[in-house]
Amino acid sequence: MTKTYVHGVGMTKFGTHADRTLKNLLLDASRQALEDAGRPKVDAVFVGNFLAGSMSNQEILGAIVANDLGLGYIPTAKVEGACASGGIALRQGILGIMSGEYDTVLVAGVEKMKHARTPDVTQAINAAMDTDSNEKHAGLTFPGFFGVLAHRYFHETGATKEHLAMVALKNRENALQNPLAQFQKPTTLEEIIGARLITEPLGLFDCSPMTDGAAAIVLSRKPSPIHVRSSALVSGPTQMQDALDLLSIPAIGESGRKAYEKAGVGPEDIDVIEIHDCFSMTEIIAIEELGFFPKGEGFKAIEEGHTKASGKKPVNTSGGLLSRGHPIGATGLSQIYQLVHQLKGTAANQVNGARMALAQNLGGTGSYSAVHILERV
Amino acid sequence: MKVYSCCGHETVVKRHYCPSCGSSEIEEREVPNDGTIYSYTRIHVPPVEFEHIAPYSVVLVQLEGTKAKVTGRMTEEVTIGDRVQFAGIDNGAYLYKK
Ligand SMILES: [Zn+2]
Repeated sequence: MTKTYVHGVGMTKFGTHADRTLKNLLLDASRQALEDAGRPKVDAVFVGNFLAGSMSNQEILGAIVANDLGLGYIPTAKVEGACASGGIALRQGILGIMSGEYDTVLVAGVEKMKHARTPDVTQAINAAMDTDSNEKHAGLTFPGFFGVLAHRYFHETGATKEHLAMVALKNRENALQNPLAQFQKPTTLEEIIGARLITEPLGLFDCSPMTDGAAAIVLSRKPSPIHVRSSALVSGPTQMQDALDLLSIPAIGESGRKAYEKAGVGPEDIDVIEIHDCFSMTEIIAIEELGFFPKGEGFKAIEEGHTKASGKKPVNTSGGLLSRGHPIGATGLSQIYQLVHQLKGTAANQVNGARMALAQNLGGTGSYSAVHILERV
Repeated sequence: MKVYSCCGHETVVKRHYCPSCGSSEIEEREVPNDGTIYSYTRIHVPPVEFEHIAPYSVVLVQLEGTKAKVTGRMTEEVTIGDRVQFAGIDNGAYLYKK
């Protein structure tokens, strides 16, 4: 089977870019990735994006990248999968190479959100719910779903708001070392726990922010030191009331199982992890679903420091969505940016000798989950 | 409230085919609308269409006589285990009260 390798990565600073357009960010990250890869001939472009149509009145992102970077008359497409748009775009690139259709693919992700009011962004993001459901009409939101999940998790496991705060604090501490992260101001457990409530029990620091930013990656069938060992994607329940078990997000578990199986490795083989911590609660569920810690015990792993950069399973050494930032379509690719640097030994919060890395990118409340496993060869 | 079941999964969400066995013969039955709070959140930052009613509670109600749960909205504050009564449908949303 054709193997896929990473040849270049690029990423803008995440945060507020009031003076830059969506296109400007997208082209910046794409160009960085192409330069990092040594300006190869590109056979196709996939762009991950969720809100450019609704919030920037801008589509045709694939064609814009190909045209403005002078890539020629090549196939391009935009890929949408809510917050997993970037991870799904990456998978499309990998599949294109595995099929033999393309030798080299540019995958980019972008979002611009900071120019709008929070209620308007919340409304736009709610497009990732089933609009034809009583649940959306009830006024449920994404932070709302994870609030409902958190209350039940507390009830069944004995975890508390302090455990959520420990996730947020860890990721903030990691972001302090990452110059591309959105939040670089130190904080404390007390400040996190005391912050204003968004959707109880989640407070401001438990929720990923609105972010402007872009990230990109160049893939090729030609060998490089970073091998894409496996790619997995699954869809899951689209409604909270339809879950068999509220404390499980089956899309995460299932995408993890498939990725491990294809790679021929298990959670014990993974040295460094980027997880989709759209909310602090999500990180705890994801480390359980991906088999790093037993079900219902993820919060204990956080308490014991196992997921810190210096712990036995470092999670979100970039700062995660919570502190690196979450420009929706770019998030899945910014995870890869961090992991490629980890495998090259040049990352913020470098994990010594990291050889195998896993990225997990979630869309909706578990509607999509993409998992990619990378290895240094 | 109508619940739909096949292969042991009971849900208020109607499917065209059963995800386990593929059958289109999904059993339908009526269950009481009332139940107990399985979990909840209180929404302080709503989407723009609900700004005028915030803060409000979104609740996951464990219905009686079925494994199925349903999502509803309440103006009151609640906690897990509270008994709640169905209070009608408003603009597609199921309303509950204590
Ligand atoms: Zn069935």
